[in-house]
Amino acid sequence: MIRRIAVLTLNDLAIAFKNKTLYLILFVPLFVFLTLKVVDGADTGAQKIKIGLLEKAPYPRAMIHRLQLADSVFAIDWFANEEAGKRWLKDKSGDGMLIPSDKAAGRFALIVLTKTSLQTIAIVESVAELQRVLEGKDKSWIAEIQPLQESELQMQMLPTWILMLVLLVGFIVLPAQVAEEKEKKLLLGLLQTPIRELEWLLAKVCLGMFLIGIAALFLQLLAQFDFDAVGGWSYFAFLVVGGFCFSALGVLVGFLCRTQASARVLGVLFYLPHLLPSALADFSQKLNTVAPLIPSYPFYGPTKAILLEGANVSDFPLQWVSLFGIGVVAIFMSHRLMKKRWLM
Amino acid sequence: MQLEVLQLSKVYKEKRGLQATRFSVEKGELIAVVGHNGAGKSTLFKMLAGWLIPDHGTVRVDGIDLNNRRTLVAKIGFVPETPNLFDFFSVEYNLALFARLFQVPSARVEETLSEFNLVPFRHAKVQELSKGLKQRVSIGRSLLADPPLLLFDEPTSGLDFEMTKEIYVLLRKIHASGKTILFTSHRPEEIKSLATRIMVLHQGALVFDGTPVDYFKSDIHQNLYS
Repeated sequence: MIRRIAVLTLNDLAIAFKNKTLYLILFVPLFVFLTLKVVDGADTGAQKIKIGLLEKAPYPRAMIHRLQLADSVFAIDWFANEEAGKRWLKDKSGDGMLIPSDKAAGRFALIVLTKTSLQTIAIVESVAELQRVLEGKDKSWIAEIQPLQESELQMQMLPTWILMLVLLVGFIVLPAQVAEEKEKKLLLGLLQTPIRELEWLLAKVCLGMFLIGIAALFLQLLAQFDFDAVGGWSYFAFLVVGGFCFSALGVLVGFLCRTQASARVLGVLFYLPHLLPSALADFSQKLNTVAPLIPSYPFYGPTKAILLEGANVSDFPLQWVSLFGIGVVAIFMSHRLMKKRWLM
Repeated sequence: MQLEVLQLSKVYKEKRGLQATRFSVEKGELIAVVGHNGAGKSTLFKMLAGWLIPDHGTVRVDGIDLNNRRTLVAKIGFVPETPNLFDFFSVEYNLALFARLFQVPSARVEETLSEFNLVPFRHAKVQELSKGLKQRVSIGRSLLADPPLLLFDEPTSGLDFEMTKEIYVLLRKIHASGKTILFTSHRPEEIKSLATRIMVLHQGALVFDGTPVDYFKSDIHQNLYS
């Protein structure tokens, strides 16, 4: 009995190796390790709180001195004006900016990207601690917190959910469907009709875009997020081009696999690296530098800026065009594979 | 000449497949392509149907090159060994889908359902049908666009005696309607009375091409099947 179980287990392992499940098992820990390495690397410089100050603002000399002394905690950047500092924050180069408060004389307003973030809490806590050491009183230098993104926490999550939906359809749903049609020879059957290869490919991409659209619409109906007209159209424009790009990539992934099982594995191998660096970029400055190199970022970054910072599609022409271009290249490659009856 | 196969070849990594093969087919022939498993029968049919891209050679149907796939699909109907139908949809849906893609009138679906005795199963999902019924649906689908040339790859594979007889009756009926038919089999005895011509493939090479009478007189049959 044990012998038979061993034989069957070995057979299952061989199947897992053949359909690439083992790669997935090895890939996920490797990917998590690399991600953690990037997020929590040994370079403590990346862990410092990057705080921006105005060159001509009347900060108490003791405060500046104390911030400079605490150089293992704070890194100070100086700006000629508030706008430059806000741009620095929006680029995610810094964590927060202290400017004189209009509401309380002698105290400061802390400008951050989002009010409810780990960085904001860290700045408030650290500045208060510095002040207690220096002045021994509890009244904080920080009188108010001004977030650049006014939206609610749910709204701040929206870009990540949208990215997840787009990637889910692109890398999990479509590759499995394409591989199924190949595996069951359904695609070859369809190619015995007068359809063009490109028509079949575009139908698959349209399916992906439709599914993404339905999911986004459903999400919108349930959560009832508010957009103005410009924001709404800009969001729609990126959803369309993102849906096009990742559906086309999904079809290509499907073409690289012979079976549904391989397509699922390969889909996850593409899904995770596209999702995590973009979605986690806000938590790590290192990831923030890596994320733009990944094709999902030209979708995630602009979508986030449109939804949370009031940007519009005309602010991101390069990203829009690059997503469209990636989609076109993916369709072209799928077309080549289809013409060669690759793994069919 | 309806079909011309000129130096067609396809070799797989394991050196199997089809070596350069040349033959032609006249209109109205009913040809059985026989040979053992791995002889190259399916490879030949898959290339004729556009499922496989040949390494070398060309195929012409009524003078049209195989590269013109979209024109040729109306001239060649292919019934694969395992029916490649959308299992989770009904018989009628499968036929209607292909009728739409071929842009033939929807009345053709009704005709096909009646012609192949599929009316009682029109709403049944394909996955619920027996292999014989699936094969009938598959044959019906291949005839939707009324192609003059039909390829059947092992049409009786996995079918019982009764079903096999039924399929052969169907082949005769289709042939009698003026179609040219090529079908594969690895059971020559069964096709003795059916084919007008027999082609034998052995290890990827065409080793016999003649009438059934000549074939059964020759020692090739004895050598291959004794």
